[in-house]
Amino acid sequence: MKSGRKQVKRMTGAMRIIHWANAISMVAAVITGLYIGHPYYQTLIADGAVDKYVMAWNRWGHFIVAIIFDVTSIVVAYLYFFSRFEKPYKKLIPTGKNVAEFGEVLLNLVTLNRRKKFDSTHSDSFNTVYFTIFHVLLVWMLFTGLQLYVHGLESGESSIGAWWPALLHLATDWTIPVTGGTLMDVRISHHETMWLIVTWVAFHIYYQIWRTIFWKEGDIAIVFGGSKFAKEQES
Amino acid sequence: MAERIDGVRKLFTSKSARVDTNRGDLYYQQLFDTCRARLDALREQPAVNRLDFDSLLTDEGQDRREFMKWVSAVTAMLMLPPMFTPLVAEAAELMNRLPVVWLELQDCAGNSEALLRSDGPKIDEIVLDIISLEFHESLMAPSGHQAEKQLEDAMEHFKGNYLLFVEGSIPVGAGRDWCTIGASGETFLDHLNRVAENAAAVVAVGACATFGGIPAAAPNPTGAVGVMDVVKGKPVINIPACPANPANMVGVVLHYALTGQVPELDSLLRPKFAFGYRIHDNCERRAHFDAGEYVEEWGDEGAKNNFCLYKMGCKGPMTFNNCSIVRYNEGVNWPIGVGRGCIGCSEPDFWDKYAYERPMANANIKAPTGGVEKTVDQFGLGLLTAAGIGIGIHAVASAVAGKREEGGEG
Ligand code: SF4
Ligand code: SF4
Repeated sequence: MKSGRKQVKRMTGAMRIIHWANAISMVAAVITGLYIGHPYYQTLIADGAVDKYVMAWNRWGHFIVAIIFDVTSIVVAYLYFFSRFEKPYKKLIPTGKNVAEFGEVLLNLVTLNRRKKFDSTHSDSFNTVYFTIFHVLLVWMLFTGLQLYVHGLESGESSIGAWWPALLHLATDWTIPVTGGTLMDVRISHHETMWLIVTWVAFHIYYQIWRTIFWKEGDIAIVFGGSKFAKEQES
Repeated sequence: MAERIDGVRKLFTSKSARVDTNRGDLYYQQLFDTCRARLDALREQPAVNRLDFDSLLTDEGQDRREFMKWVSAVTAMLMLPPMFTPLVAEAAELMNRLPVVWLELQDCAGNSEALLRSDGPKIDEIVLDIISLEFHESLMAPSGHQAEKQLEDAMEHFKGNYLLFVEGSIPVGAGRDWCTIGASGETFLDHLNRVAENAAAVVAVGACATFGGIPAAAPNPTGAVGVMDVVKGKPVINIPACPANPANMVGVVLHYALTGQVPELDSLLRPKFAFGYRIHDNCERRAHFDAGEYVEEWGDEGAKNNFCLYKMGCKGPMTFNNCSIVRYNEGVNWPIGVGRGCIGCSEPDFWDKYAYERPMANANIKAPTGGVEKTVDQFGLGLLTAAGIGIGIHAVASAVAGKREEGGEG
């Protein structure tokens, strides 16, 4: 440890697991989702159909990671309010303090770190808002995706009972009128949102690396070891 | 916006999308009794035309056996247990007690064609022949004032009892005043509303009458809408598709003759017995879909092997209809069977949102702002590129600024 710096804990083990589960799920969801939308590689015609099942495997993978996403979303939503570590919702309330902090972090970014008037030892409100946007996008993917999915269960039955499709209809049918009135609109929105998420990820990775380089506080280590460094006696 | 809120409300108040094919013995016993009483009442009524079903059957060279085969198929289609078979047969025979008025508005007469297609009459058509078509401007001999008179008479005589079939969309925007009917120059809108007023129920047939269809496709010059957007206070049954499958028209009429009620409908007012199923889930090419075997190009090896048409733009995965089960032209074939994809003709906005015969990923979809056509992927890639450029500029600027700072310190 460099002198004059102290280690601060920023992510618990559970949070890091969620982070990496999300990251891996997302890569898998994008790869399989693009295939489902437009099967971009061909299977060899000479194979017997029973031996390949390519679309089915892609859909299988897509749904499995979607379920992981869905479950982590529920956990994350819970942690927003009840985490014993940091409660992100507190940073979301637009109090004067939070708004000021949000502005300062943004200024730090656009002035290329010439101005840094906020406490970077904890999760700031800019980051919290940014992460919340991500989770909102994910929840939207969840609703639109399940809406596209439930129509394969039109008999009203599923392997786990009739409650599941009934619940899905109840929870996701509203996405049809909201996106524009047809199932195709839901599909387009699901696809479009993927691009928003990919763009979000691009900026996220950039920003974390940028912080690491310019703040010199080892921010990138948060997702690996759970902690970063903070200059002592500063803020 | 108000429209969307309304749409959401409708979805939540409508019955679930579940297709319930087994409702238990008690339910069916009660339904059976209702139907029995209804048919007895119908038999008491005087026939509105002199056509006799049995003699028509023999005239057309169909025997009773053929008819009973057809009846059991229709009973199954209507999701009724076999004990209803004799009742369905009876309902078909009593069809000449059922007055029908057929209006044609902004349409191509394709549904009338479907109804009448003349490849040698089959039982569907005989059944439809026998319904008492009191008014159908394209099919009847009288025209002009005489035709109008006939309509007036039918409306008066069968007040509250006739089924109103509507084919074609209704212009309510700029086109409202251009489209008129008859010598009096009544607009389509007024005409429909007036005739619907005394109908027992309104059946919208075909893509245009249900969701506006092709006349309502962008930019919708006439401001076309479907029947359900116009007719209020009457049960409306939608039988979309382009054209509507005659089997589904027969199904609705038979159901009405049998029970005196409209069949169970989905949130888009389509009878569940016909539109409760997705094309994709009953498609004969589905195994190829799951296997990832697609036609890549018209006429290629995959096409010869009946591979899935998804990559050629098939919209079966989001289209609800029973063509994959009942098919067209007396079950001879259907679009996917002949080797082309489904274009989603039974879905709202099908022309704008489904009918491009390219896969979704290659389709030009209207940007939400209207105007410019862009694909979602072009938009997404553009967004990502913009973000990338922004990141690049910021990164370079940061690097330069960082050096300066270090230089200053040093
Ligand atoms: S041809 Fe169309 S409906 Fe049939 S399996 Fe392929 S995508 Fe589905
Ligand atoms: S296959 Fe599709 S496009 Fe063809 S008639 Fe059926 S629903 Fe319409």
